[in-house]
Amino acid sequence: MSQVVALLRKEWMMEIRQKHALAGVIIYVLATVFVCYLSFQKIEDTKTWGALLWITGLFTAFNAMQKTFSQENQGTQMLLYTMTHPRNIILAKAIYNAIFVACLNLISLFFFVLFFGTDVLAGADFVQFMLGLFLGSTGLGLALTFIAGLAFKSGGGLGLVAILGFPVVMPLLITIVRHTTFALEGMSYSVNSLNLVVLLVLNILSFALAYILFPYLWRE
Amino acid sequence: MKLWLKIVCVILLFYSALFAFWHPMAPGGLSVSATEFHPGRNDFFLVGYSTHFLSEKDNLQVFVSNDSTTIFCADVVDVISDAKVMVSLFLPDTISSTRFGFFANTKADGTIIIDAPVGNSGFTVVPGFQPDECKYKVANEDATSFGFPFQPVIMESIRNLMWHVPMWFTMFALMIMSFYFSLRSLSIDADEQKVRFDLKASSSAVVGLLFCTLGLITGSIWARFTWGAWWTNDPQLNGSMVVFIVYIGYFILRDSTPDGDKRIRLAGIFNIFAFVLMVVLLMVMPRFTEGLHPGKSGNPAFSKYDLDSSLRTVFYPACAGFILLGYWIYDLYFRIKKIQLHEEEQI
Repeated sequence: MSQVVALLRKEWMMEIRQKHALAGVIIYVLATVFVCYLSFQKIEDTKTWGALLWITGLFTAFNAMQKTFSQENQGTQMLLYTMTHPRNIILAKAIYNAIFVACLNLISLFFFVLFFGTDVLAGADFVQFMLGLFLGSTGLGLALTFIAGLAFKSGGGLGLVAILGFPVVMPLLITIVRHTTFALEGMSYSVNSLNLVVLLVLNILSFALAYILFPYLWRE
Repeated sequence: MKLWLKIVCVILLFYSALFAFWHPMAPGGLSVSATEFHPGRNDFFLVGYSTHFLSEKDNLQVFVSNDSTTIFCADVVDVISDAKVMVSLFLPDTISSTRFGFFANTKADGTIIIDAPVGNSGFTVVPGFQPDECKYKVANEDATSFGFPFQPVIMESIRNLMWHVPMWFTMFALMIMSFYFSLRSLSIDADEQKVRFDLKASSSAVVGLLFCTLGLITGSIWARFTWGAWWTNDPQLNGSMVVFIVYIGYFILRDSTPDGDKRIRLAGIFNIFAFVLMVVLLMVMPRFTEGLHPGKSGNPAFSKYDLDSSLRTVFYPACAGFILLGYWIYDLYFRIKKIQLHEEEQI
């Protein structure tokens, strides 16, 4: 466990030492939301709002995954390989990325509110909406971390993350867009909680798969 | 593949193809020409499908139900053909509901039902109103002839059940094989075995993808006929499209990774991911989502009510035949790939 904490700290240290990368991702979020604003100006439809939020979220997550493995050079990876079990590495990276994507989506939500106002959120069930936002973000983070590792190991480059990652996060994305739309329309828990359960199950499933399969991926 | 299995496969496919096309349809009701009913006499045509009105002229009975509690007997004015009959119906001033249902009964065809929306004018609607009892005698509840069930929108296209659904079953069978071979390729250490299992996994995935494509094509044609569009927003359709993309991704990953141990590992890992995703998309998600496929919101397949015994006798052999065919194609493909691999090694 202490190893996982140490690895999490290492991820965080690398993040704050490469401020340009972090700034790059945030600028990406800002630019995407701004383009949405320029093309829509005003969104009254909850469905459009929710879909745009998650399209932004999806591409932000893809962007955030770019560096998760490629920032470590061969030497670092050898060191990690000898020092700790690969499951600790995927655990740390998955947790870090899940939180990272959640934070990025919060930032994206902030920009959405900034540009589009709070009209759409007025009738929303806010607790449900935030729960969905959190679970959706963590799901994207967990599933894409592993896919990023897979694409990195194959040497196929960034295009491969999108090719492999897009279909993998599809069920999650369908569910989360539906959940967000329902939450924005202020539907009750009895209607919408099933979507939350599905989200939770997809989270656990993608993490469990990554946790089981990562050692095979990691060994050279 | 064993010779007897090949023979069984060919026999099953031949049998199912023959019956899928030749088996007659059970009699059913197609349409009613009436657009609006009014008190007094109403004349309209009633059109059936594969019915025997002409030969059963003498005991043909037509009734119109009103609110399912009241039944009006109609007079058969003229039987025009086996499928078309002209009917005259006398309606009172007071009816109990504005919904009408049409029934025609003969000894050979049983009772056929047509549920057509018909407008009305000039009636006094009193719920629970009971007009004079109409005397009728049903000659035979069920059809004596044996055929595929006739359903209003599906009609003759029910035959596609013997092609469309087995494609997906075969894809599932092949993907399960592929999943198993990938698991083996990851768990085994001997290099030669590993290459073999990887080749088996990718070969069965190729054939599985072929059947996925065929399933999409047959489904698309069926959707055009019954739902009115080549592609509709149905969880099963969208899910199968994603599955298609995932397995394409599997081949892209295999091709973009350099040869050797690493390719086997990465492809194997992604294949396991793809399989789990396929189960989630095609087996789990449709249960949570509204869709157009039969038996939706619960069971993503035909329920026991949709699949009657005449369909079963053709459907199950078709499934078995196509699964065997899938295995056969996979077997050939795998052997071709193995020979190619050997030749490459010798050069």
